[in-house]
Parts: sequence; structure tokens; C-alpha cells
Amino acid sequence: MTMFFRKTKSTNNSAAQNQSPKRTAAAQGDVVLSVRDLHVSFASEAGTVRAVRGMNFDLRRGETLGIVGESGSGKSVTSMSIMGLLDSNAKVTGSITFRGEELLTKTDAEMSKIRGDGIAMVFQDPLSALTPVYSIGEQMKEALVIHNPGMPEDEVERRSIELLELVGIPNAKERLKSYPHQFSGGMRQRVVIAMAIANNPDVIIADEPTTALDVTIQAQVLDVLKKAQRETGAALIFITHDLGVIAGVADQIVVMYAGRPVEQASVEDIFAHPVMPYTMGLLGAVPRPDRDKTDRLVPIPGSPVNLAALPTGCPFAPRCPLAVDACRANEPNLEPVPGRNGQSAACHRTREILDRGLTFRDVYEVGKGVASKFAGVPRERRAVVLDVQHLKKTFPLTSGGFLRRKIGEVHAVDDVTLDVREGETVALVGESGSGKSTTLLEIMNLQQPESGSITLFGQPVTKGLKRAQRRELHHSVQYIFQDPMSSLDPRLPVYDVLAEPLKALGWDRKRINDRIGELMELVELNPDQVDRFPTQFSGGQRQRIAIARALSVNPKLVLLDEPVSALDVSIQAGVINLLEDLQNKLGVAYLFVAHNLSVIRHISSRVAVMYLGHIVESGTTTEVFEHPLHPYTQALMSAVPVPDPIAERQRHRVVLQGELPSPTERIAGCPFASRCPLRLTLSEEQRAMCDSQPPALKQWQPDHVAACHFAQVS
Amino acid sequence: MTDNTNDTEHKHSAAQDASQAATQTTASQTKREFHRTGRMTLYVRRFFRRPSAVAGLVLLLILIFFALFGSKIGKWDYEELDFMSLGTPPSADHWLGTTAGGSDLYAMIVRGLGRSLSIGILSSLATTAIAAILGTAIAFFEGWFEKVGMWLLDMLLVVPSFLLIAMIVRSSAGTSGWLWLTFGLTAFGWIGYARVLRTLTMSLRELDYVHAAKFMGVNPFRIIVRHLVPNLGSVLIINTVLGVVGAVGSETSLSFLGLGIKAPDTSLGTLLNEGQSVILTAPWVLIFPSIVLILLTFSVQMIGDGLRDAIDPYSRSGGKAE
Amino acid sequence: MLKYIIKRIVNYAVMLFVAVSMTYFLASAFMDPRSNYMSRHPQPPVESVNRSLDNANINDQTPIIIRYLHWLKNVVTKWDWGLAPDQSPVGPAVASRISASVQLVTIATVLSILIGVSIGVYTAIRQYKWQDRALNVVATFFLVIPPAVLGLFVAFGAIALNNAAGARIFFVTGLHSYEGSNPWLWFVDFLQHIVLPTIVITIPGAVSYHLTQRTYLLDTMNADYVRTARAKGLTLNQAIRKHALRTSLIPTTVNIAFSIASVFTGAVITETVFAINGLGRYFVTTINNNDINGATAIAAFGGVCTLAGALLADILSAWLDPRIRLS
Repeated sequence: MTMFFRKTKSTNNSAAQNQSPKRTAAAQGDVVLSVRDLHVSFASEAGTVRAVRGMNFDLRRGETLGIVGESGSGKSVTSMSIMGLLDSNAKVTGSITFRGEELLTKTDAEMSKIRGDGIAMVFQDPLSALTPVYSIGEQMKEALVIHNPGMPEDEVERRSIELLELVGIPNAKERLKSYPHQFSGGMRQRVVIAMAIANNPDVIIADEPTTALDVTIQAQVLDVLKKAQRETGAALIFITHDLGVIAGVADQIVVMYAGRPVEQASVEDIFAHPVMPYTMGLLGAVPRPDRDKTDRLVPIPGSPVNLAALPTGCPFAPRCPLAVDACRANEPNLEPVPGRNGQSAACHRTREILDRGLTFRDVYEVGKGVASKFAGVPRERRAVVLDVQHLKKTFPLTSGGFLRRKIGEVHAVDDVTLDVREGETVALVGESGSGKSTTLLEIMNLQQPESGSITLFGQPVTKGLKRAQRRELHHSVQYIFQDPMSSLDPRLPVYDVLAEPLKALGWDRKRINDRIGELMELVELNPDQVDRFPTQFSGGQRQRIAIARALSVNPKLVLLDEPVSALDVSIQAGVINLLEDLQNKLGVAYLFVAHNLSVIRHISSRVAVMYLGHIVESGTTTEVFEHPLHPYTQALMSAVPVPDPIAERQRHRVVLQGELPSPTERIAGCPFASRCPLRLTLSEEQRAMCDSQPPALKQWQPDHVAACHFAQVS
Repeated sequence: MTDNTNDTEHKHSAAQDASQAATQTTASQTKREFHRTGRMTLYVRRFFRRPSAVAGLVLLLILIFFALFGSKIGKWDYEELDFMSLGTPPSADHWLGTTAGGSDLYAMIVRGLGRSLSIGILSSLATTAIAAILGTAIAFFEGWFEKVGMWLLDMLLVVPSFLLIAMIVRSSAGTSGWLWLTFGLTAFGWIGYARVLRTLTMSLRELDYVHAAKFMGVNPFRIIVRHLVPNLGSVLIINTVLGVVGAVGSETSLSFLGLGIKAPDTSLGTLLNEGQSVILTAPWVLIFPSIVLILLTFSVQMIGDGLRDAIDPYSRSGGKAE
Repeated sequence: MLKYIIKRIVNYAVMLFVAVSMTYFLASAFMDPRSNYMSRHPQPPVESVNRSLDNANINDQTPIIIRYLHWLKNVVTKWDWGLAPDQSPVGPAVASRISASVQLVTIATVLSILIGVSIGVYTAIRQYKWQDRALNVVATFFLVIPPAVLGLFVAFGAIALNNAAGARIFFVTGLHSYEGSNPWLWFVDFLQHIVLPTIVITIPGAVSYHLTQRTYLLDTMNADYVRTARAKGLTLNQAIRKHALRTSLIPTTVNIAFSIASVFTGAVITETVFAINGLGRYFVTTINNNDINGATAIAAFGGVCTLAGALLADILSAWLDPRIRLS
């Protein structure tokens, strides 16, 4: 592949000459970008928001720097200041030098010469990153021509195709004529990466480039990004909140909190022996996808910091179990950690932490769980609360915009069979478009399904259901949404939010009052706060309110749609613990939808894997994670990033080819056949079977089924 | 609706991202309540930060006061004719002059302003109410109800409403004429607006908390009243205010054409009609009502713009960093 | 594709039919042509009044449904839109006025689009700077001026200017007064007439294009893809011009298509102020004369314009926006 760039350079002589000074100036290992004492602030209603307060780092050629932090930590603002893309109301001070040139004093016109040429950027949301009205070819061309004026038309096309092929877009030549909406999210992100590397930049900034993507697509895009970096020899700044992703990508890591770097070290050091208590907490709060659950998670107490009203002293002090008076008095500087090469931390108590060898288990309080109501009762003896057999749901597909005609059917849920028993958590796993959420909504609708059956607490859901029965069921099944910001009406105080389902039940005032007090305590919130509005609570607290609302009517089954994915890592752990405790206390069953496999491995006892509307595998969590049978499950498991740089490097990853087929297509055989790595190893006859006969769920191991003709039991 | 865009839409830039995170965490300091800014306070503060909005508000209050009590300080009644001074320029006796028929222009303007204001405000309120109920209902009850409703709305928009209003108002005269005019402006004014509200409601009905209420078995009417209408609240307020400008414009146009308010009653549009014929001989008959009319619509527009800016989550009225 | 356009046209035809019929019934209910005759002095005999009314098919003593069916039959079979109370045919009256309205509205529409969209873009790029604020105040001022006031003041100003110059620079009535055959003089005469009404129609149009275009552009200016374009190396202005502007012109184009309907509605006041014999003025006449058939014919014409605009808007947006383009 090194051939590739030599070739372009020789054929593209004029461009190469233009670029030659910069290439020599930045040989491997040289510092290409250096940020010193960067401060950024914005005006807001709540006062001046100090988004970045003293960011420092050096970036070397070929190196990958990971910037890790939660929302509001200043990581994105840092990247935007480097690009010179901040809003005009931002006030930026300090220094950013790129190849020895100061960037902060440059005008927009001067910066535009560097952007896309010397420094390129990949953004988070690929769906909105491309202009909808221009074809991919036009947008690629723009990226090339803006820095190489006079590049001949055929050269532009040749190079565009080359770039698209490099990032793994099949039929690149034809795809140049396509428009962004004709591409999936993963494909669009590839196009954005192709544009970013079009002019062989020295620095690529990737701001949460895979956060909006599915796990298997994330693995593909990370591969593409690494390849792009290798080919260009560029330095990469990788910004993310996902510790698993960063473990596999970065060389150096900066951890940010409240606009400041709080710890900086090589990826191995950060993961092996973090010093700053915040870093410890972040690492401890994340469940591991590659290990069985052993302990409860350790949440970081308190709420994220308010950038408009920072406390004096260390901004982490209010949440830090180790904080002493000195921490509250003045803010610690980022200083080298004694005895550790290249590691620095901003903490007053570094010395004690080192001397006593403290880890996060020592620093944070590991709470005690509650014993389950059903502990010791084997699964077979528990009652079935939900039984779904061969559920099917289709939506009519209409063409977009002007002439709304029906052009087909979306088979959102094609064949779903699962059961949930008392007091257990069943997880439904799959990528977007696999039909997980539709399955939940179908159950929640309490209408007779199009095809197949839904049985709740032994009562089949049919048309003949009486009103009273349906109402009864309404209260036995509850739902928790992904985003607590949108699932609570911002105009109602918490009291009214919680009273709504109880009023629908016809309870009287007194009883409602008592119940609400009980509920607030149940979810570990202060009952005196019921007069406040949802916006006055933090994300984690809001999700607790949503949980309280769902539990208010004593349901026996709760359907949860990605209940923690909208929360910051440090908050997630607390909510997961709460969900576990409540289940153990109340004996409620959960049907849990999530795309985060680490969370699922931690919380669920059983897993069902969905692909294109089908359940392709199900069994106990340990079985499915440790010995996946279906090739799709195998790929999924191997794509999950593990927050451990050493394990991450040793892992063998099955990177799936292609994308999820459109759910409008009718597939005669196995829905996974088009992407199946196993199929490639099979004989002609066996392949014919995959292509023509849909596999049924088959028992391969005790309590472990998979829908594959040729699954291999290891 | 506008408030929710905050939460559901993509964050537009790192700057907004950060400032949003800040306002959210500000609000989340539930225990130490030192920097919390309530929604209403925020709106009020932003509204009063705009000088033009405040000026508009003051001006409108003065005009309303003038319309209500102006006749108390005038020397003449609007129905009284002074045959000694026909079409005389402003004087001590007739502050703003007289019309060709000998009516005192000051008294006429006070009366006309009152009429135009009441027609504008009443029809704007009624229009908003009808549009809000029908628009949300069409969107909320999906299925054939929505299809038929939309077809009817589109059909009603085919014929220019100005014509239909003129037809209705034409046949009514005398003191009840202004009520007919209000009725006409309302009856054919809500249609386009209902379509807009339907579109807004369509996005609201997909909100999680509306789904949540449905899942908990809350009845549909309660959901509309409790969750949907309050969400449209800010939009409704702004449009009611700006609707006054539109209604006053339609009223004056119709009256000017001789199709609206007719003598003995008067409105600002009717006065314009009178002024047109004496444009060269008695320009004050045209000029004074025009000035009052422009002050009225301008002040209302300023208030409406101020409200919109105050409620818009992406407004940059936050000022610059120090 | 063609099939769906035809389907849509059929739907529009049904809508138009229902809407025009509704107008016919409303007009019959609210208009009283009999009063035209009864208020004459001397009052004509009742039989002769009835005869005239029957002849025009607007006699309130005939059941409405019979009048309606009769009217409908004539429209459908003979394209005969009926008679006014004074027995003059309605159809030719409408047709003869279309040309004046089209002359007036076309020039003004083109001007208001050019001026309005340019100002909209200019101010959006300078959001909250003084140019934006100043132009916004001007726009708000013109936005709230009722059309009648604007028309009268323009006329007033023109007369004052004529008087000051001592010559007739502007004509404040009609569209033509030159009767000779010199095309150049004809054109100058036309200009002298058309300038004032064009100003009156252009200003509100330009203001509304200014404000909407500004909003559309501001909406797209913050879009992620503009940021991507800047990250590629475009300057802020280039990124806005190439990416945000192009996208924001789509809804404006749709609005322009819809403005076809203003051939009828936009000019009522202007035509009245400047005594131009267009459709708007005819509309006022029909209302004042209790002309049921005339009002219905005007409604039908307005409806056709509205629907043609809607159809054009659909086709244009499908053509401009690849997201809804048909494969």
C-alpha cells in the first residue's frame, strides 16, 4: 500500500511540489502540532462558560493522541479551536502552533489554507456531515480542487476513486454519482474520512467518529481510520468518551475534566495504573464485555461539573472521595508523577496515592447489592411473564417527498421468539435496524400482532381482549426510554410526572401522595424535590425519575430501550446498580434492549441476538458471550472494544464485510448469508442451502439455540 | 416545541454544545441553588434586553390607552358633524383637522383605532384558538381522520380567502358590521395556520413523553391538553401577537376597498378610504390615520419579534464573552 | 412518474370543483342582486326585475340547487360562466383583465425575488451586525405598512414630485395612455405608468423574500455539512455560498412557485389605488355589484392559479432536492 502514495506523488507532480516543504519539515517523530495554555470561553445566559482552561499537549508525527472526557469536558472545543472553527462569540487565548506557525492569530482565509490540507477533521455525525444536494463526486472534487487549483478533471476523478477505494467503498466509480442520502451512516463516515485524507494531511482530528455507528460498523471504520493514518503517516487526535475504543486506538492519552487535562500518559499506563481519582473512577465505572460479572459497578458520586460556575479549587473535589481542604482551596496543576516516565496528573494527593498504591476499589465505595427475591429458584420453576412466538411486524414503505406511493414493505420484525421469566433480565442485542425497538413497541402496543403471538402473564394478547383486561395489562408492563430528557415532559414538576400513571389507575390523592414519597426513596432521590422540574435534575437523576414512574404501578415486566446509553460513563454505573437492586428487591422482570454489549454482559442473565428482524441466537449470557454459535454473534462479540489496551491488541477481530441488507428485501435463505464469514468456508452444496433455506432456531447446547445450518460447537 | 429543540436536535457547534452543557448543569444543581435561571425569568430577561421590544410594548400600551380614553379628552364626538368646518386643516378647535364631511378627525381616529384594535385582537385570538384545536386534532388522531382533514384544509385554501371574507362582510353594514368582519377574518383566516400547527404537532406526537403517556393508558384528550397544547404554547403566543398585524392589515384593506367597515361606524381603513379622495385637498385626512396605523402595526410587530427572539433557543442575545 | 402527476391533477380538479361550488353557494347566500334593481329610481316593476334576474340565473326565488345545476351545466358544456346583474357576460370580462394583471404582477414579482433574496443572503451572513439590524428595521417597517397606506403614499409622493418638477413624470392612473404607433414612445409611456404600482407591489414582496431567505439561510448555515466544507478548506464565506445557500434556495423556489396565485390576490389594493383595470379591481366590482357569477368566476381563476402554483412547487422541489427526486 505504500506504493499507493508514491504513485500519487509522481503522477501528481504539481501538488507534490507544493507540498514538499511541509513534508520535510515534519519528519516522523517530530512535533507537528503543539497546544500551549489554551483557554476558550463562551458567553451564555448562565454566565461565562469556561469550556477549556489550560490545555497543553504536543502531537508527534505518526502518533495517535486520545483525548478522553465526558460531555462538557472541553474535548470537542479543543479540537474546534485547532481547526479555527469555533463560533465567533468564543474567546480563545494561548497558543496553537502547527509546523511552527501560530494558528490562533490567523484569519479565516489563512486558516482555510491549512484546513483540509495540513489538518483535516472527521466529525461525529456522518448523517449530517455531507451536503445533501451535492453528489459524493462533487464533494470529493471540492476537497481536492480547493487545495490543488487547476487539477485536471480526469486526475480529480482518478484520485477520488482511489480514495474511495482506500476507505473501502465498493463500485467507487459509480458511487461518485450517488448522493449522500443513498449511503448508510458507516459509508458516509468513510466518505468523510476519504475527504479528510485527500490532501495527505499531517494531522487528522477525529471527534467521536464512531459514536453514532453500530459496533460492527465501528470496527470497520476504526480499521479504515488506522489504515488512512498509516498511509498518510499523519498524527491522529482521537476524541472519544468510549474507553474501550481509545484502548485499541491511542498511543498517548489525555483525560479531560471540566476543561482541563487532569491526567496524561501512555495508553498502557493510564489503563494499568491511573493516578488521578477521576481517571480511576472512569475506568472502574465501565463494565467489561470480556469477563463475567463479578462485582457491582462503582459509580462516581455527584453530578457533572457546571462550567459556568466552577468551584474554587479542584473542579473534581466535590465528587472526589479523597478530597481534602487543600483540594477545595486551589486547583492542582498537571505535574509529572514521580517515578513514572511520561505520566502526569493534576492532583494534590498524588503522593499518597502512589505511596499507598491506591486503586479505584480503595478510593471509591463499592456498595453492597440486595439479594434477589428469586435467588435459588431455578429458571424452570419461575413463571413465564412474557412469551413471544414468531412475532412479525411490517411497515408500508412510501417513497420520500412528493409522490407518496407505497413502494414496498419494511420487514422490521420478521421472526422473533423469546420468553422472559420472573425476576430475570433478558437482553435483546442487535444493531440499528435489526428490529429490537420495534419488538418492544409491538409488545407495548397490546394489540394482536400481524402474525405470531404475544402472551403476557399467561394471557394471550388478542383482539378479543376486554377493556379492563387491557388496562390491567397496561399496568403490568411498563416502558423506560433511552433519553430521560425527552421522556419526561419538561413542563410538569416531578410530582405530576409520577402521578400521571397513578391517576390513570384512578387512585385517590392521599394514596398517590404516599406512593410518590415511597417511589422517590426507592430510586434514591430526595422526596422533598418532587416540586422541581425535570430540567433541574441531571441526566442520571432524570433517568431515576423515569424508572420511578415506570415502577409506580408495580409492574411485573419492564421493557427498557437503551436506558443508559444517553448517560455519561460516570453516571451510567449508578443507574445500572439501581436497576439491579430494584429487580432483586421487587422481583420485576426486565426485557432490556441495548447496543452496548459490556452493559448487557453485566446486567442480563440471558441474551437474545437479533439480526434483520430475526432472533439468530439465544441462551444464557455467559454461554452466548463465551461460546457464540452463530457467525453473526461471533463477529459482534469480536467487534466490541475492550477497555484494556493489552487485551485489545491481542484480540482477533472478525470484521464483517458489507452492510445490513435493506429490510425491504425478501431474502429466500438465511438473512445473514450475504455477509457471513462462515459461508465462505463452506462447500457449494452447503452454500446453496444457506441461500435457499431460512435456518430455524435449533438447540445446539443445553439452553443455547442458534439459527444457523452449520454452526460450529467449539 | 421550541423548548424541546434544545434536547432533541443535533447540537450545532462546539460552542453551543458547551454552553448548553453549562445551562443544563446549571439547572441540575438541585442541592445548591445558587445559579439557577427559570424558564420564564429567562424569557422575560431576554425580552426586556431588546430595546425595540420594550419600545413596542410601551407604544402599544399608549395606543390602547388612547383608544380607550382618548374620547374623554377630545372636544367632539365622532358622530358629530361640524358644518362650519368642512375639510379644515388642524386647528385649536379640531386638533387634527376635519374630514370633507365635517367630522372631527381626532375623534374619528380614536374611534377607528379602537375598532381596528378590537377587530385585530379578537380575530387573531379566535383564529389561533380554532387553528390550535383543529390543527392538533388532525395530527393527533392519525389515519383517515387526518387524511380527510388535510384534504379539507387544502381544499379551503384553493379559493383566496380575501374574496370569501369580502363576500360575507359586504352584506352587513351598520354597527354590527365590525362583528361580521371579525367573523369573516376568523372563519377564513385559520386554515393556513392550522396546517402549520398540524406539522408541529406531528413532530410532537413522536416525543417520548407523549408515547410514555400513551403507554401508561392516559386518555387521548388528556394527552392533547396536558402535553401537546402547552408545548405549542410559545408558538401560539407569538403567532397570536403577530396575527394581530395581519388581521389589522386585512381589516384596513377591506375597509379601504369599501368592503369592510362602513359609515356611520369607522375604522382606520375607512378613514384611509376617505383620505384617498381628498389626497390633494386635505392630506391630513390621509396622513394622521396612516401614522396611527403604522404605529399600531409596528409596535405589535416589535413585541412579536421580541417574544420570538426571547423564546428561540438558538438566539444569540446571550451577548459576548468578556 | 407521469401517472402520479396525472393522479395529482385529478385530485386538484376535484378540490377545485368542490371549492368553486362552495364559493357559488356562499356567494348566492350572501349576495343580493335583487337589491341592485330595487334601489333604482324609479323602482322597476317586479316582473321585469325577475325577468332580468332569471335571465342571469341569479333569481333568489328560484331554488338554489336548480340555479347551481343550471350554472354548472353552462360552465361544463359551453364554458359559459354566466351573466352579471347588468346582463354583461362574465367570462369575457375576466379574460380581458388577465393581461393587465399579468403585466403588473410579473415585473414586480421578478424584481421582488431579485431584491429580496439578495438582501436576505446579505443579512444572514451578517447576522446581528449593524447592516442586518438596519435592514431588518427597514424590512419590519415595510412589513407592517398596510398595502393601502403604502399605495396612497407612493401616489401622494409621485404627485408631489410631478408638481415640483412641473411636468408629468409619473402617471397615477391606468397602464397606458399613449395612442400613437411609435414603439419607443409607447414603451416610455408604459414605464411612466408601471413604475409606481410596481414599487407598491415589489416592496412587500421583497421584504417577505428577504425575511424568509434570511431565516432559511441561517437554518442551513449552522448545519454540520457547512462545518465539513470549512474543514475541507473552504473559507466561511465560500462554505456558505456553496453549501448553505444552495440548500436554502430550495424552499425559496417553492415559495416563488406558490406566488403564482398572487396574479390574482396580490394586486387588489394596488389596482384600486392606481385605477388599473386588472382582475383585482374587477373583483371589487363584482362584490360591490352583487355579481354572483362574476365572483365565482374570479374564485375559479384564483383557485386555478393556486393549484398551478402548488403543482409547480412540487415538481420544482422534486427536481432541486435529490432527497425527494424520483429515481
